[in-house]
Amino acid sequence: MSDAVVVGSTLDTGSPEPEEAAGPRGVLEVNDVMVEFDTDAGRITAVDGVSLHLATGETLGLVGESGCGKSTLARAIMQLVPMQRGSVRLEGTDLGTLPRRELRRMRHRIQMVFQDPRGSLDPRMSVSTIIGEPLRVHGIGDRTSRARAVAEAMELVGLPTAVSDRLPSELSGGQQQRVGIARAIVTDPAVLVCDEPVSALDVSIQAQIINVLDELRDELDLAMLFIAHDLSVVRHLSDRVAVMYLGQIVETGTASEVFTEPRHPYTQGLITSVPRADAESATRLQTARRLVLGELPSLLDPPSGCRYRTRCPYADDECAATEPPPEAVDHTDGLHSLRCHHWRDIAVRSGAQPSSNSQEQAP
Amino acid sequence: MSVLPLLEVDDLHVTFNTASGPVHAVDGVSFTMAPGASLGVVGESGSGKSVTARALLRLFAITDDVRVSGSVHFDGADLLRVDERRLRHVRGGQIGMIFQDPLTSLNPLMAVGEQIAESLRLHRGMGRAEAASEAVELLARVGIADPEKRATELPSSFSGGMRQRVMISLAIACRPRLLIADEPTTALDVTVQAEILLLLDELRRSEGMALMLITHDFGVVAATCEDVQVMYAGKLVEKASMTHLFDRANHPYTEGLLRLVPRFEDAHTGRLHPIPGQPPITGGGGSSCAFAPRCAHAFDRCHREIPPEVAVGPEHLSACWLAADRAKEGTEAGRPWRRTP
Repeated sequence: MSDAVVVGSTLDTGSPEPEEAAGPRGVLEVNDVMVEFDTDAGRITAVDGVSLHLATGETLGLVGESGCGKSTLARAIMQLVPMQRGSVRLEGTDLGTLPRRELRRMRHRIQMVFQDPRGSLDPRMSVSTIIGEPLRVHGIGDRTSRARAVAEAMELVGLPTAVSDRLPSELSGGQQQRVGIARAIVTDPAVLVCDEPVSALDVSIQAQIINVLDELRDELDLAMLFIAHDLSVVRHLSDRVAVMYLGQIVETGTASEVFTEPRHPYTQGLITSVPRADAESATRLQTARRLVLGELPSLLDPPSGCRYRTRCPYADDECAATEPPPEAVDHTDGLHSLRCHHWRDIAVRSGAQPSSNSQEQAP
Repeated sequence: MSVLPLLEVDDLHVTFNTASGPVHAVDGVSFTMAPGASLGVVGESGSGKSVTARALLRLFAITDDVRVSGSVHFDGADLLRVDERRLRHVRGGQIGMIFQDPLTSLNPLMAVGEQIAESLRLHRGMGRAEAASEAVELLARVGIADPEKRATELPSSFSGGMRQRVMISLAIACRPRLLIADEPTTALDVTVQAEILLLLDELRRSEGMALMLITHDFGVVAATCEDVQVMYAGKLVEKASMTHLFDRANHPYTEGLLRLVPRFEDAHTGRLHPIPGQPPITGGGGSSCAFAPRCAHAFDRCHREIPPEVAVGPEHLSACWLAADRAKEGTEAGRPWRRTP
């Protein structure tokens, strides 16, 4: 009923958030979310005006380093931390405005997988009780249908029926994470939020869990928000990616475009920093060091203007004076956008080769 | 003949007696390192890579019921047989160490400059003032800005990356001839990791010290090491130069490790290839190839006899009954994990 107003106001602003532009209305729509915290040392803005959307069957990778706000954003989307501003719409419903009771009813449509499988499972409950718990909490189905749903979820994540009665401590790390995933999908959610789901696991187990998530996404048509600091894993799983730095999304687009044609100096630095198993590994790290200077500034005293300017080799007075708004890369229908005043002058750096950039070539 | 080795490990065995029986964490490991060499040791958790490093310096918990045999010759002496006093001199003196979590290795109640100075007084016999100024210089060497001020601060006031730099400055304070780094960047963000890896590489070259880097990440080894050895169930299953390994990984386990991680340069190319099964929890000590139960290429002999190390190229060894055949295939076709054109 208020659709006309919403559309109208979007048009009136003249510069829609490119993160939102041109995409279909998603199953999850996050708009201009801001999260602030009080710490001993003062107030910090952990998430600063983030917008993103997710369509059914789509995976959005959220990358960035410690303190960039990616986990806080996930918690805000899950309504686990209060937002100072913005909205989170799940299947069209604004979660922030729901009364507590209604919110609980919606929760089964958005579920979360955590980093530490052991810590997130009740050590006294059996595997099947843990997996079935969200169904009981949300009052979904009867005893028979719940048992069936638990069995199906276990099969989907590759847990043998034999472990149903075991305790989490009797399982391997990989199996524990499978339990965590089964519990998340048992309520048939539309959106799965995964916060570093494989970073605590050994490499060979990581591959198994990544495959499980990959298969689930295809079979259940899940929308997945995949948060990780491992860029290789994110690239492998994601259709689109968003790169966060100091609470803001600095670049977003399709995974192939952002990873092969990164435009933001921070994205370029991040990608070039990934140590790869090839002969140019060391040379590439040298390049990375020239793209990410110094140390991460404190959130207590974030830089004026562009958040990245204190570490950026291209920064000038304009970057200190004005905050760059999200701007769409022309040829991509608004899917690829970034916050940088100078991106048109900065060479694309695929990171595939340690290529030199325009600045370095200058006399 | 090449230079005398700096480190010569021969038939090293480490067995822990645990409540559930003996665990052969290290099962007959032999290797050498030349002065200034860089060696990456790669394997899954429990492969014995960290225990090997700790065994070199007999660094075990007091509660460990452990049996160590073999020999570790470093600078002329067998570190498994020297007395505690001599060993203390080697630890943190001629051999420096850094670990994944610098917080557990730094004293939380002592200013970092003092901790470095203490080590300098102990190992290099410096006076108080000299040690203090050398500590500040060391902090500057590892890229810590404003070192005079930072030297007076506690470890808790440093970020993760800066703390690892402090740890490195402490480890190189006594100009060690060998630096052992056990997963030094695993807990760090990727841009910080890049800086620490570059720092380790630069220090190795400028100080002429050897570097042994333990990791699960071949990318990390590629950035810092010339040689690599792969461990499985307490044994070395493959040794090679890093460039040689990229082109011709021979052992099925090495190949599995290289294939199971998504590579950054690849877009989504279907499912990953996890190695089925799990490493044996009791480590080595068997009478067959420990990897055989997980190996797609295993045949009768693999389940009956331990494969010896076979030379499959210049300074390239592989402990596999199929090593020679696989070496032939590899030169013809290359490995499936290799970059596709």
